[in-house]
Amino acid sequence: MPSSFNMTNMPFSLLDEPEQTLLRNSLDIGYYQRNETILAAGDVPEGVYVILKGVVSENDVGGSDVDHVFVHYTAEDYFGGWSAIKGRAIHNFIAEEETICHILPTKALLDLCAVNSRFADYFQQSLSAKTEIRSELGGDQDMAEFMLAQIKDGAIREPLIIQQGDSIETATRLMRQQRADCMLVKRGNRYGMVTGTDLLDAIVIDGFPLDTDVAEIASYRLITTASDDYLFNALITMTQQHIERVVVMDDQQLLGVVELTDVLSYFSSHSHVIGLRIERADNIAALREAAEGLSDLVRAVVGQGVKARFVMDLIAAMNGRIIAKLFDLIVPLDMQPHVCLVVMGSEGRGEQIMKTDQDNGLIYRDGLIWPDMYKTMRHFTDTLISFGFPECPGNIMVSNPAWVKSIGDWTQQLSDWSQNCDGLAQMNLAIAVDAHPVAGNHALFKTSRNWFMRHLQSNKVFFAHFAKVALEFDTPLSFFGSLKEKGQLDVKKGGIFPIVHGIRTLALEYRILETNTFKRIEALVKLGQIKEKHGRELCEALSLFIQVRLGQQVVRTESGNVDQTPNTVDLALLDKMERDMLRDALHIVKGFKKHLALRYHLAG
Amino acid sequence: MIIPRTIRQFKERIDHKAGPHGELFAPYEGDEVVSLDCETTSLNVKEGEILSIGAVKIKGQKVVTSERLDIKLKPPKSLTGDSIKIHKIRAADLVDGVEMDEALEQVLAFVGNRPVLGYYVNYDIRMLDKFLRPRYGFGLPGKAIELSHVYHDILKWKSIGGNVDLRFDTISKNLDIPILERHTALGDAITVALMYVRLKYGEAPRV
Repeated sequence: MPSSFNMTNMPFSLLDEPEQTLLRNSLDIGYYQRNETILAAGDVPEGVYVILKGVVSENDVGGSDVDHVFVHYTAEDYFGGWSAIKGRAIHNFIAEEETICHILPTKALLDLCAVNSRFADYFQQSLSAKTEIRSELGGDQDMAEFMLAQIKDGAIREPLIIQQGDSIETATRLMRQQRADCMLVKRGNRYGMVTGTDLLDAIVIDGFPLDTDVAEIASYRLITTASDDYLFNALITMTQQHIERVVVMDDQQLLGVVELTDVLSYFSSHSHVIGLRIERADNIAALREAAEGLSDLVRAVVGQGVKARFVMDLIAAMNGRIIAKLFDLIVPLDMQPHVCLVVMGSEGRGEQIMKTDQDNGLIYRDGLIWPDMYKTMRHFTDTLISFGFPECPGNIMVSNPAWVKSIGDWTQQLSDWSQNCDGLAQMNLAIAVDAHPVAGNHALFKTSRNWFMRHLQSNKVFFAHFAKVALEFDTPLSFFGSLKEKGQLDVKKGGIFPIVHGIRTLALEYRILETNTFKRIEALVKLGQIKEKHGRELCEALSLFIQVRLGQQVVRTESGNVDQTPNTVDLALLDKMERDMLRDALHIVKGFKKHLALRYHLAG
Repeated sequence: MIIPRTIRQFKERIDHKAGPHGELFAPYEGDEVVSLDCETTSLNVKEGEILSIGAVKIKGQKVVTSERLDIKLKPPKSLTGDSIKIHKIRAADLVDGVEMDEALEQVLAFVGNRPVLGYYVNYDIRMLDKFLRPRYGFGLPGKAIELSHVYHDILKWKSIGGNVDLRFDTISKNLDIPILERHTALGDAITVALMYVRLKYGEAPRV
């Protein structure tokens, strides 16, 4: 089939020229009527189907469930690859409209998989492998900030130059004087490099006298780079060549030297500076300034496509420091050992990126007398608002006396909620069990948490109730058919919430103290409660949801408006590959929900 | 004298049944159809020369593009400016072309005694026959299926008395079939094949 087949789509773009020819020569075209079953569960598939025109749905095998459409495929999507490799289809594929498909026969598919391993990975592997392939090829999308930095962005050191004919002794003295540990020796038109180690070796090991010409021991095979090359490439060169410096040359013109330590320190500089500013702030105004810098940092880091999970870690650490610092500035010193400030919800899980609302609470020692407590807490909340942490619409803040409690009241409240099945109680509990202490006396928090966890152990009914919430929203896979026109996806309901809440339930059941979902998953894997493969998939899926959501949030906030729909993902803005990955990720969520339903007997 | 094709075919069948190409004249038993298209220098069969021949097999609902014929011929003398504007094939595009003898050999081997499908298929068949007859003494042996007739037959029930627009682009539009590569022999053959499959197996088009 000459050119009607679009080779620029993944994964076909992974094929090289001769492989593409092989593919073209093997393609057939199939025509299917509306409602015709292209491939039925249990059939031996002919191969991979790539839609030229039409819509195909992938359905669950009948059984007890009502037929559930997993996915709709439209033009340029492919399906059946996995079935072809496996040998049997596990789902039904039905033409929803008249459909024309290119068919790549199984034999040709297997041949291509045999010669091109990345192509094979793409068809066989999990979401995580796909993400990896994508990030490998995906240009600057997932590249970290420092990978995009060029060498001229401030890492070049001025070279120390010495002439041929100077002795080793002169060279050593000069180096010490200039606090350098390497220098360039000019010999005629060429440069050679001498490092401190070279000088030491020359004298101690090779026994050269001190007046030896330094040009004799220099190395003239210089590894060079250009000033507009990526810093990242310089790092790779150094690693490959086992060296610690490369010389920067533009058109035979010597510009300087790049050192390994400079490259390595480049990345951390931004966040480090802000961390330092927060630490040094000794009044509210200074702290506010540092907090405002944080928003810029987030925008910069996100704009450069650093992975959402790393951004979250960074933000959680920074927000924690700001809140703790503010606590230090506002709460009187003599009261600090008697109270504990906790952050809850997404903040408590360390999964916040865009500044969403503040969720926090205060636990104090039973019988504490602190007349100014409510006033101080009101002040605390107001100051955080003025820092740009929006008010919590559910009023879960220390300014609300309902969230300022003594240990006894706090634990009583948790256990009341856990015995109550109404929605509000369940929601409050879900927020509260993600609590994470940030300031004050952490022991107060730990006491109440440990008591609550022990208390829950004996309450099996609770977990079933609690887990049920994770299954409340349908996995929105059936949206995909009409995706090009009006596809909007609530990624929180459809993807993030079921994972976060399901994992939260499991974590509570196994008394895992972590609050971060990723860490909870890791802990559950370690305990053998989740298979390693599933754990990895859940992590990948969750970070994909967060990443996709974040990407669109940034665009919406940058256009200057208040983001009215923070959890909405406009599918039309995603490229085909991203939609593919989103679809895979939703499949993982669906699988996980099934797992939860089985485990907590929630069927029906 | 113009002798109708059916009579000629009948005569050729009797003449060649026992010859070296006898199997071409057995009645066709299978379920395959060959969609065939030629790009030529002229629409007049007498003057025209074949530039390229494209063909694909159709098996049931499937257009077997993996089994196809895509022949380019050596540039004929009559390749001039006017036709180049239509099919956009220049002499330079045909430098690796094959000789006519070789091309005909391939066509006969590929088509065999299968029915031949095309859009204004008689033109293509006559064109091929013009070159086949002097060499083999017979033309394409298979039955001819005219796409526009198939289309017309299905449509006439829907639009009684009206004229049916049988232009290629109109048909493909009404059938909602993408035109893959207009004016390459293989592209047209594939498009026609898809239209045929659509007509045979799909619902009648809405007009």
